[in-house]
Amino acid sequence: MTVWLLAGLVTFGVVAGAGAGLLGIGGGTLIVPFLVLSVGLTQHAAQATSLLAVLPTAIVATVILQRRGVGDLRFSLVVGCLGIAGAIAGSALALALPEDVLRVAFAVFLAAIGLRMARDGRRAMRAGP
Amino acid sequence: MANGSTLPSPNPAPSLSLRDFSIARITAVGVLGGVLSGLLGVGGGVIMVPLLVLWLGIDQRVAHAASLGAIIPISVAGIATYGAAGEVDVAVAAALIVGAIAGARLGAIALAGIDPHRLQAVFGVFLVLVAASMVALP
Repeated sequence: MTVWLLAGLVTFGVVAGAGAGLLGIGGGTLIVPFLVLSVGLTQHAAQATSLLAVLPTAIVATVILQRRGVGDLRFSLVVGCLGIAGAIAGSALALALPEDVLRVAFAVFLAAIGLRMARDGRRAMRAGP
Repeated sequence: MANGSTLPSPNPAPSLSLRDFSIARITAVGVLGGVLSGLLGVGGGVIMVPLLVLWLGIDQRVAHAASLGAIIPISVAGIATYGAAGEVDVAVAAALIVGAIAGARLGAIALAGIDPHRLQAVFGVFLVLVAASMVALP
């Protein structure tokens, strides 16, 4: 690993971490495209590496939010533990799928959810608090 | 407002209890978040946040906090599965983590005091931009 790549990864980590803490999504949606485009990892390796980077980010953000009284840790961990089998199945499926198929499915899904969230948020802001 | 310096937060978050929700719905959110997380290498919050807000009716900020906590066990399961296939690049992840831990503190502190509707709108625009960039990849 070159010094430039190391510096780029650390810098991008700050951006992804801040976005993750703010948006509550762990940063993987930013990290995966970055690792494929800029670092040159395969889609599978990018997704695997993204998950490892997401874990400490989620832990740090969760600790801070708990201290500030936002959310309930027991609720979070119950939802997460119920998701363990799903995560194993999803990972195994991803490893079995062609990479371009994964990428297109990802983009379509994100656009659909993003449009809905943007619409709902704007509507609520117009209606007032 | 006048005694703002004594308040813990200018915009306190609503409380959240497991007993307010059916186990079927909580399981569905966890399983869908887990499948998406493993399938796409993300935390799973992309689907868990909308489900928690739109389906379970949880406040936007509280949903983001719940999603972040749920990502912890879900990502551990994904890492183990991808790791068994030898796909995890530990050196790249370690460099990202050094930056991400600093960044996560900044983002989470901002989340604790932000307007939830504005956050929802920003989150939606962010997702559409990421989707467009995914399709534009060579």
